[in-house]
Amino acid sequence: MPLVRLVAGFVIWSAGFVVLYAVQALGCAYGWGDWHRPVLIGLYLLALAPLSWLAIPARAGAEEGPLHFAALWANRAALLAAVLIFMPVTFASLCV
Amino acid sequence: MSQTPSPIGLHKQLDAIWRTPPGLARLSSVNHTILGKRFMALALLFFAIGGLLSMLIRAQLATPNSAFLGPDIYNQIFTMHGTVMMFLFAIPMFEGFAIYMLPKLLGARDLAFPRLTAYGFWCYLFGGSILIIAMLAGVAPNGGWFMYTPLSSKPYTPGINADVWLLGITFVEISAVTAAIELFVTILKMRAPGMALTRMPLFAWYMLVTAGMMIIGFPPLILGSILLEMERAFHLPFFDPTRGGDPLLWQHLFWLFGHPEVYIIFLPAAGALSTIIPVFAQRPILGYRAIIAAIVAMAFLSFGLWVHHMFTVGIPHLALAFFSAASALVAIPTAVQIFAWIGTLASGKPRWDIPMLYVFGFFAVFVCGGLTGVMLAMVPFNTQAHDSYFVVAHLHYVLVGGFVFPMLAAIYYWLPHISGRQSLYRLSIPAFWLILIGFNLTFFLMHLTGLMGMPRRISTYPSNWGWDWLNLLSSVGGFILTMGFALVLADMVLQFRFGARFRRDPWQAGTLEWATATPPPSYNFAAIPHMDTRADQLRPARIGPTLAGGDGYLGFARNGEQETLAVDMMSGDAEQLIVLPRRSYLPLWTAMATASFFLALLFKLYWLAPFGALATLVLFLCWPIGLGSKSDRGPIDIGRGLAVPPDVEAPDNVTVLANRTALVMNGTLFASLLFGGLFLLVVAPNWQGSSAPTLPLWAGALAVVASLSAAGASAMAARRPGSVLPLRAGLVAAIALQVLALTLLALSMGALGDPTGHARQAVPFVTLGYAALHCGLGAIMAAHALWRHAQGYVSARRRTELVLARLWNGYAGGVVVLALGLVALLGLNGVAP
Ligand code: HEM
Ligand SMILES: [Cu+2]
Repeated sequence: MPLVRLVAGFVIWSAGFVVLYAVQALGCAYGWGDWHRPVLIGLYLLALAPLSWLAIPARAGAEEGPLHFAALWANRAALLAAVLIFMPVTFASLCV
Repeated sequence: MSQTPSPIGLHKQLDAIWRTPPGLARLSSVNHTILGKRFMALALLFFAIGGLLSMLIRAQLATPNSAFLGPDIYNQIFTMHGTVMMFLFAIPMFEGFAIYMLPKLLGARDLAFPRLTAYGFWCYLFGGSILIIAMLAGVAPNGGWFMYTPLSSKPYTPGINADVWLLGITFVEISAVTAAIELFVTILKMRAPGMALTRMPLFAWYMLVTAGMMIIGFPPLILGSILLEMERAFHLPFFDPTRGGDPLLWQHLFWLFGHPEVYIIFLPAAGALSTIIPVFAQRPILGYRAIIAAIVAMAFLSFGLWVHHMFTVGIPHLALAFFSAASALVAIPTAVQIFAWIGTLASGKPRWDIPMLYVFGFFAVFVCGGLTGVMLAMVPFNTQAHDSYFVVAHLHYVLVGGFVFPMLAAIYYWLPHISGRQSLYRLSIPAFWLILIGFNLTFFLMHLTGLMGMPRRISTYPSNWGWDWLNLLSSVGGFILTMGFALVLADMVLQFRFGARFRRDPWQAGTLEWATATPPPSYNFAAIPHMDTRADQLRPARIGPTLAGGDGYLGFARNGEQETLAVDMMSGDAEQLIVLPRRSYLPLWTAMATASFFLALLFKLYWLAPFGALATLVLFLCWPIGLGSKSDRGPIDIGRGLAVPPDVEAPDNVTVLANRTALVMNGTLFASLLFGGLFLLVVAPNWQGSSAPTLPLWAGALAVVASLSAAGASAMAARRPGSVLPLRAGLVAAIALQVLALTLLALSMGALGDPTGHARQAVPFVTLGYAALHCGLGAIMAAHALWRHAQGYVSARRRTELVLARLWNGYAGGVVVLALGLVALLGLNGVAP
């Protein structure tokens, strides 16, 4: 469904956002110590994978609806948002 | 249908079916044109009240050491100003506009659930009145429009003030909930045939996204209000840190709603701009598809910003960085829209008229607000400016720039549609300049007082801090601004009295609403057009008379029924014939019953409240009486050589879609509750050494089994609508099992331990209560299906009631599982650090 494709990227972005924020809080509350950052970075990369796939234009022959353009750019925006907004997991201080 | 009547004759026939008679019968109106106007008029009244309050604020602050109001009254005044402007003016204003406009823009004769529109209006009126009456009685809310705990908790606000806010606003929010669901469904399903999603005018896209945001955005606020009211009324701790609660939970729940809220207000205004600008630029909007992508991006990003209101509460750098980055990034999709509008104007042949004045006012003011917004998104600056007048300046640049200026443009553009007359223009231009100058004088200076350290929400200040002149000038600006608004009001009145009448389409617009007669007839269109092009590039002046002559779909009056069409969501192909319910007093009675529930809570007559709730429920169950059909009719002629089935015979009709949407909304509320419980478990103080909730395992397990089996039984009934016996057996089983589950859950609630002692008992208590309530609702939906079946409204084809029973019972089953999961998690010993 084209409508699903239109929001797919940002739904993934939202899920990534919630998971990263929750894991950040959990890691601090339960003292994950040295594991905390690698887990966050792993999740960061995990979120980027499907987003990168959605940001590539559908191959020739795939559905080519009129909503296609809007969906493609919404998904690219989601990728960009994920790259930039989640980036701090690589450097910002985790619990203070 | 064999003999086509003249346009006048057709008008008379249709009007006889759709009209609302004068006199007291007006109270029974369910017509979207009438209700949209009522919503907007009431919202304007609240705007005037909020404006009056802001004048009192500015009068108090004009001079130092002023003794005009005094701190107690001042607290009520600024709280009520913010609350009235946000909840009683801005939201209902755009709802009313969408209610009035969308069916006309999309080519429908009314919204999907006219009686729900009316119910929403009464809730808005009654809830708003509670707040205003409380203010006149001197007991208005006084904790600021975001009602932070612990200030708003019982020990620090012992009076009724906070309850007025929590109950009154929740009552008003019912109208936002109903409007969101109804607009969402209407946009997706009730357009003129041929209007594929990609042919919708942009305003409909904006409202679709707005409605979607309301569906996700309002539940956290409603949940927060319920929890806080329970803490105040029944001492269940959620926000009290001494008993395992956390005041920050309130801030999270409030801003989870509160930030998206400002975009919920902005998007409809932007939709109006996207409609008005192309008309005056005399060319189609630039970047139609890019704008769709931008509003989707904006809608989602705006849910990732809420913590920027909490930068100073002490949270780790990583979390700060997330929310700071998201806050800065949301400026990009906003900029995409602004550039699309500017580009449209630059590449067109702009025509000068009053609405365009306000469009330029919007550009100037809103861009400033956006820039200070990006400043505030930066944590170090935010720490400096937090809670100062810089924030007051910023929020008014955004809200007035992003909502009030577009609203004024829209008033000048669409008021002729309502009045049937054109503006006289005498007062319009001076009014505009008074508003623009007055606004900037008032609020620009607040940036400066803010940077000089003046905190917001102070009732007075000493004179030796250098704020005197700036405040005085700011107050002068406020009164100039008010004079401007008064002139606009006078201009509107003059237009109704003396404006020149016009035929159709005074602006040479491209959208369908101008194809109706003006003022619009009760049924909007004598015939529903077929769309072959994008629906913002039409020739309304040419289409209008054709439709009035009955040339199109449903261009006739049939059986005295209110007929309109439903289409396939994506393609816009005609799919179903909808027969809408007639006018009725039921919405009014139901809203009165709801009001008795809220008033009982407000006056602490807790024995009365269940009766109010019960009366509301019983009245709601009366709504379907007489609706639907007792026989299968098969495809029905809709004109232009097409025949489609009635919507009761279609599996995915508007009712089913609306219930699915309602469940998503309800699920968001439940998810917020789960989030709240986990939040307290992980971060709230004073959990160490608290005793775990005691849940009788057998009762929990049995409740899960019972509720899930009920879901299964109702699903089975829905699968075999043709055969009477399995159907009835399935529904009866669902009822019995849900009642069993409800009983078990109630027992478990009693066994948890004292819920007023600690959040560790209070959270399971309300979570199980929510689950029990939904088991009850599942049983009611199954009973409803059974009742409708017994009356003959259900058949193999007409099975909406069965689908609804399946949906609600399935939801209840899922809720029971998750609720017990949360209780088990909170019961684990020694998890909390
Ligand atoms: C008509 C011109 C207006 C004037 C002169 C005005 C003035 C003010 C002032 C001076 C305050 C700060 C009170 C304080 O912190 O002590 C304030 C707060 C506020 N205003 Fe306005 N305002 C106007 C219109 C609006 C509009 C149109 C909206 C929303 C659509 C709005 C929403 C708010 C909100 C949400 C607050 C915060 C209240 C709080 O701190 O709890 N205002 N206004
Ligand atoms: Cu915000």
